[in-house]
Amino acid sequence: MKSLYQNYFKKNDNSDPILKTLKNVPIFENLSDKELSDVARLTHERTYKKDEHVFKKLAPAEGMYVILDGEVKITDSDSDTIFATLGSGDFFGELALLDEEPRSASAIATLPARLIGFFRTDLLTLMKRSPELGNKILLNLSRVLGERLRRTNQELAKPSQ
Amino acid sequence: MEILPFLSSIIGMLVFSFLFTTIFLQAVDSIERYTRSRALGVFLILSTTIMIGVLFIGSFISNLGSQIKLFTQKIQREDFTTSIENLSISIRDSLPDMIANLIPESEKIILIAKNVMVGIFQSVLSLLGSAGSLFFIAFMVLIFTIILLIEYHDFKRSLVRFMPNKYLEVGLRMIYNIELQISKYLRGQILAASSVAILSIMGLFLLNQLGANITLIVFIGIIAGLANLIPMVGPFIGMIPAILIALMNNIGSDIALNHQIFGSIPSPFFVLDIIIMFIIVQQIDNNFITPLVVGESVGLHPMAVMLVLLIGGTLIGPLGMLFAIPVAGVLKVVMTEIIFITKNSHLL
Repeated sequence: MKSLYQNYFKKNDNSDPILKTLKNVPIFENLSDKELSDVARLTHERTYKKDEHVFKKLAPAEGMYVILDGEVKITDSDSDTIFATLGSGDFFGELALLDEEPRSASAIATLPARLIGFFRTDLLTLMKRSPELGNKILLNLSRVLGERLRRTNQELAKPSQ
Repeated sequence: MEILPFLSSIIGMLVFSFLFTTIFLQAVDSIERYTRSRALGVFLILSTTIMIGVLFIGSFISNLGSQIKLFTQKIQREDFTTSIENLSISIRDSLPDMIANLIPESEKIILIAKNVMVGIFQSVLSLLGSAGSLFFIAFMVLIFTIILLIEYHDFKRSLVRFMPNKYLEVGLRMIYNIELQISKYLRGQILAASSVAILSIMGLFLLNQLGANITLIVFIGIIAGLANLIPMVGPFIGMIPAILIALMNNIGSDIALNHQIFGSIPSPFFVLDIIIMFIIVQQIDNNFITPLVVGESVGLHPMAVMLVLLIGGTLIGPLGMLFAIPVAGVLKVVMTEIIFITKNSHLL
């Protein structure tokens, strides 16, 4: 009954680290405090040990992760290329919110890490329960992906050296 | 060992609460969408359902009561015995000697008929007698359902918390597919049951126009619809109340006794008419409605469906048959995921 209490009697706690972190993620931009706490209620907080895989390349993909604290590297285990090293407040794996393609790279915790998982099934539930909020998130997600596409195009347009 | 029956009744209550939760979950989710309050959604949905349920059961009991009263008066009159006697003679005459000899003498038939009727009434009465404990169980199921409906998404989240990181995403997919499987199955079944109920009511109404004199047709239709939820045997169970009521109402009437379909096939008390009507309803349901609304809801082979039903029926009885198909559907999802995990363990 704890969540019943939280739902109706307890005021939104802005000092909640999950809410604070989610607020700064572009995908959850422009959400009201109430909406943000609705999203937070659907997310899953997970802890990972150092060197533990968050997911492996080609594994079935179900959703995105936001780093609460710790460090995660995105890497291609076949070629040992490190694409990015991400820290607190960063997010990865958001493409999986939209399609069911397998992971294109591996994610490994390089330090003990606490992550917030937001999965496709949660997004689908949210779209059913609160379509307005679901649409906001989808629009933000499209913005993030569009921005990334634009950047890739610019990279490609650069004359090769 | 003494704790076992106690535990099984609690598990039964939880199973029913979970079932109701799955049935009402989507409706509560959609009300929450407009009212922004989940508790209000649960209250609206459950109170409406309870009100309809109470009205239905209440009027069914009172109607059944007056039906039984009428019938008891009829039985006490002389013509009941003569009517049964006439029936047995007419059946005997229409059959070849070899089979006719197997049918007991008229007096014995009257005795059997009376005993069967008394037996039915007694079981109805004892059912009413157990209403006390039934009320308690219903109350507990209601409480569990309210809690499950309000807290459903949080319960699911707590369940996910216990999953190891390695299996998190596969586990989430499994939960989602199980939910999808159950809700698809339930929605299909509810739609199919309602269509069978409506078609049966229409069929009984038509039979009444032909003089079948069947009362309580709405209740008979709804019972047939509900019985239809049990695959394969359900449709036959659905016919029984209609046949019983036709017998009760028409006993003593010579026209009903000598009724013939198309003026040639004997159908005493419209029994054959009722059976044919239900078979037509079944055919419409099986060939047009179910494929449309249920589709390949659980995707089980017909042979597997039969086996699963047999296992469910043997282990738990009619209730087992009711739950056999969705449980098999869930097991199929779980097995598919387990096979996937074992084949792709290097990816997890």
